[in-house]
Amino acid sequence: MKTNVIVDVWNVNWRELKRFMRQKPRIVMSIVQPIIWLALMGSMLENVVKLPYFRGVGSYLDYMAPGIVVFTTLFGGVFGGLSVVWDRRFGFLNKMLAAPISRSAIPIGKMIAATLVSGLQATIILALALAMGVNCVTGPLGLVAAIMIAMLLCLLLSGVSLALGAVIKTHETLMVVMNFLTMPLMFTSSALFPLEAMPSWLADIARWNPLTHTIDPIRIIMTKGWEWSTIIPDIAVVSTLTITVALIATMLFRRSIS
Amino acid sequence: MVAIIKAENLTKIYAGQLKAVDSISFDVEEGEIYGFLGPNGAGKTTTILVLITLLKPTGGKATLCGYDVTKETAKVRSCIGYVSQDTAVDENLTGRENLLLQGRFYHLPKDTLANRIDEVLEMVDLKDRADDLVSTYSGGMRKRLDIAEGLIHRPKILFVDEPTLGLDIQTRHKIWEYIQRLRRESNVTIFLTTHYMDEADALCDRISIIDYGRIKVIGKPNELKNQIGGDIITLKFSEQNGRTEEAIAKIKALPFVESITPVASSYTIVVKNGETAVPKIFEAANSVDVKVQAVSLKRPTLDNVFLAYTGRALREEEGSKDEIMQERMRLRRARQ
Repeated sequence: MKTNVIVDVWNVNWRELKRFMRQKPRIVMSIVQPIIWLALMGSMLENVVKLPYFRGVGSYLDYMAPGIVVFTTLFGGVFGGLSVVWDRRFGFLNKMLAAPISRSAIPIGKMIAATLVSGLQATIILALALAMGVNCVTGPLGLVAAIMIAMLLCLLLSGVSLALGAVIKTHETLMVVMNFLTMPLMFTSSALFPLEAMPSWLADIARWNPLTHTIDPIRIIMTKGWEWSTIIPDIAVVSTLTITVALIATMLFRRSIS
Repeated sequence: MVAIIKAENLTKIYAGQLKAVDSISFDVEEGEIYGFLGPNGAGKTTTILVLITLLKPTGGKATLCGYDVTKETAKVRSCIGYVSQDTAVDENLTGRENLLLQGRFYHLPKDTLANRIDEVLEMVDLKDRADDLVSTYSGGMRKRLDIAEGLIHRPKILFVDEPTLGLDIQTRHKIWEYIQRLRRESNVTIFLTTHYMDEADALCDRISIIDYGRIKVIGKPNELKNQIGGDIITLKFSEQNGRTEEAIAKIKALPFVESITPVASSYTIVVKNGETAVPKIFEAANSVDVKVQAVSLKRPTLDNVFLAYTGRALREEEGSKDEIMQERMRLRRARQ
């Protein structure tokens, strides 16, 4: 039975990946958009990096690249739950449920698929960022770590999105809710400005924002080096949150189908 | 005969409001095509969802292949196939990939699955298009692929919910052919629902007429039609040689004739088994040298049966917003 769960997760995941690879415009757009952000905002705010809050980061591009990579995985995760709403609407969900597959494999397979896809996007964006002059002091190993941390956030957000998708049964409403979540998450994090530069109320919010805890370790790895004492607590926070959310999402999904 | 589906007082009430299925009991025998005939919203789909373990019944009991639908869900799922009314095939995959995925969901071994895919593709005549994306398929092709998917693990029972919803007439007849062929070539039991009378008539060995969640009557389509009265023959005599009365008396005396009434210049005769009655009526008329100028035979349809048991014609009801949207999607896909 246990091996079957893994097989089922793989099958669900396989379908999502196949589908994604067929949607070429979606792939292109998911990469072009962050690159435009990086190019525009990177140039616009070039000189802001001279402010003391930035603590000697080489360039604003260096500062914001981790944020942009995490934005990408954030978007990937946010829309992870949509696929289950579509599947419900078009009857595919019932078809899967009529088969003897593990119920939990459906949300888990979808979360993993969203995460793998966002990992691919993050890799491409990081490669383009490097070509634009972004530095990574820890070299290729640091980049791999950065991508994996960013993927963790995607897993978290796809869990949130799936949990909401189990409760909200129409895709229009889910889209609105998820969009409503993304913007504040982006702008109350350390993605574009350091917490020290924010008013204290905003900094307090940012400290609670999981995005901050994802972006900070990536930024340290890319701009400072392997400072484990700051990296590990952040990753621990995001991991704990991710596991909790994944469990809740799976539970809510199971409840929504029974 | 063995009952492969057994339902006893099966009831489903949605969130305390609507009795979607109201204490229905029926048996389906192994190898037969069993139909649930009723209007939209009658409880057909709910019944299927309960039987295939996707909804828990509020009351009553059902077993499939001897397994309880609430207690032995995994076993029930392994022995059934389900073709939903939504034609749930994935547009972004090819036909073959859809089948592959479906086979993997049933944990078929790799080699077996490869053979089965070819086998079911052959069965629904989709071999040539197997490696094209489903988004390029017509509505009928999608439905055929959907049916093929339902068969990939050789289920003992295949559930088909509204197999021809939104399809054009030719395509409907094609789908009927595939379903009939399926029954000939394998011994799968088919449970289907439809709100088309002609479909139930063409495909089903037995039907249940269902309305407002209750079964009104169960029987073979022909028996049901016979029960509500005989066939109707309309007859016109050509020669008024004065012996017409005699001819009518002779016809009236035939054992299968129930009544004969003049209507305008013709006569309406209600008989049992119209096909065999017509030549005998001719003989009776000829025996007194009365010639028949025109004849027509009308059989009662399931429409008449439905009317007789529910007191009204098959209605179309407005669905929820979601249902209407789904219906539109289906029509759009069917037209492609």
